[in-house]
Amino acid sequence: MSWHTDDADLREYAAGALAPPRLWSVETHLAACADCRTALGSHVPPAATDLGWARLDAALDAPRPGPVESLLIRFGVADHTARLLAATPLLRGSWLGAVVLTLALAVVVALNASPLMLLATAPLLPLAGVAVSFGPGLDPMYETAVVAPMHTFRLLMVRTVAVLATTTALSALASLALPSLGLAALGWLLPALALTSTGVALTARLGPVLAPALVGGAWAALVALSRLLASGTPLPFTAEGQGGAAAVAVVATVLLVAARDRFDSGALPGPSFRSSRTLRSAARRLS
Amino acid sequence: MTRPTVSAAGLTLSYRGTRAVDEVTLRLTEGVTGLLGPNGAGKTTLLRILATATVPDNGAFTVLGHDPSTVTGRQDARRVLGYLPQNPGFHPDFTAFEFVDYVAILKELTDRRTRHAEARRVLDAVGLADVRGKRIRKLSGGMKQRVALAAALVGDPGFLVLDEPTVGLDPEQRMRFRELIAEAGEGRTVLLSTHQTEDVAMLCHRVVVMDKGRVRFDGTPAELTAVADGRVWRSTERQPGARAGWRTGTGEFRNVGDPPEGARLVEPTLEDGYLLALGGDPVTEVAV
Repeated sequence: MSWHTDDADLREYAAGALAPPRLWSVETHLAACADCRTALGSHVPPAATDLGWARLDAALDAPRPGPVESLLIRFGVADHTARLLAATPLLRGSWLGAVVLTLALAVVVALNASPLMLLATAPLLPLAGVAVSFGPGLDPMYETAVVAPMHTFRLLMVRTVAVLATTTALSALASLALPSLGLAALGWLLPALALTSTGVALTARLGPVLAPALVGGAWAALVALSRLLASGTPLPFTAEGQGGAAAVAVVATVLLVAARDRFDSGALPGPSFRSSRTLRSAARRLS
Repeated sequence: MTRPTVSAAGLTLSYRGTRAVDEVTLRLTEGVTGLLGPNGAGKTTLLRILATATVPDNGAFTVLGHDPSTVTGRQDARRVLGYLPQNPGFHPDFTAFEFVDYVAILKELTDRRTRHAEARRVLDAVGLADVRGKRIRKLSGGMKQRVALAAALVGDPGFLVLDEPTVGLDPEQRMRFRELIAEAGEGRTVLLSTHQTEDVAMLCHRVVVMDKGRVRFDGTPAELTAVADGRVWRSTERQPGARAGWRTGTGEFRNVGDPPEGARLVEPTLEDGYLLALGGDPVTEVAV
């Protein structure tokens, strides 16, 4: 380098007082000249250098939001809530793949045999999704979450919303494969809300394994019986059935809110501590 | 007398008809207290109760003045405690930083800058500054344990509950972890569950021995060692009356139990005292 930036310019640059076009000239020169960068260091207070390094360090190693998190933040969700939502187990690994595969199979059967398969399967997905996303059995961080001061009920609600939003969007996409049904192709929506809210409300009393298993079993039995005992549209997908599902969803939500403190107590019934470790290791193999 | 920071009275919890924790009364003070006991002694259950991860059937306790039996008391207690479970779980795709950041959110640190500064602080404190961007699944067992300890330290809790943090670590990792626990014990109450009597000897100002859900001993490590005073001896033959006996490197037997007349007594260790404290009725009860 045949020339160097003079001291006065370096001092002004360090103070942020240098104006274009000299600023551009000095900046370009500094990028290529180690001697001038060293000389610049003598004009910057050590504390300011340290602060600059700390800010650079923070910018480099701070966790970068993933695609789901970035999307949520773009829609105005607070960054900490977005992180809680994005960490929902159902949204990670092969769980989501399992949901997509289940819906794809249901659509294939619906197209070739009966649309009932999709209508009956879709409500079970958010129910199962919440079960795998919360509780000592399958959430690897359940123990950490339950002793944290943030209300466990809030975490449960955050995850339930994440699961419902995801499975509803995917099931709605699947419903597009049945255009001949018109709006009836969305007959799974209210039962999905009813099953999920009932499953979560019962979790407070029966635990995160038994409650969704019972609710899912009851739904399967109801659909099968309706199909066997009457011809035409099965009861859950008639206007009366849809009204009933809406009522169940409302009642279950009220009961859930009333039981919210039970989720925070650490006294959630369910699999024992030892068997939950076994369940967790099975879940790890799936993820 | 040092003022207790954590007090428990009559804690009892049963699983399927078995009392995992049976009428446990404790008073913990600042510093590291070791909780020793064989598998199935009830250590983890007691720790889970004190960490508010489960609720006792009977009994009461307070953590730094907060009563977890009420909704607000439980939240307040959780704000001042850090818990490292026996098998800490991680989301497999999280980096060390992301995991600690996530725990910081659960601990109500919602401001991004404060949260990230806290994550850096605790990861630096456990010596993981260089790997904070690495995925947890790629870390060694010892490093994973340190990440879990960092998460427990988020928010600078006054009461730290550590459930067998040194299990499965190699000697060097265990030594490093002991340093961290000793540092953590400065100015806060630490309850450390362990199988390793060396952990207790090196770290703890006090030791509690549990067996079959009950407290068998509660005192200082020196007092636990003293339980075996006059009850450890050497012999050239196996001693059928000894509670435990093994051939040492010198070819002689080292025996623990009630020695015969004229036995060659030797200096007991903490392990000898622990072994004797486990047998039969409580050997001693030391008021704190």
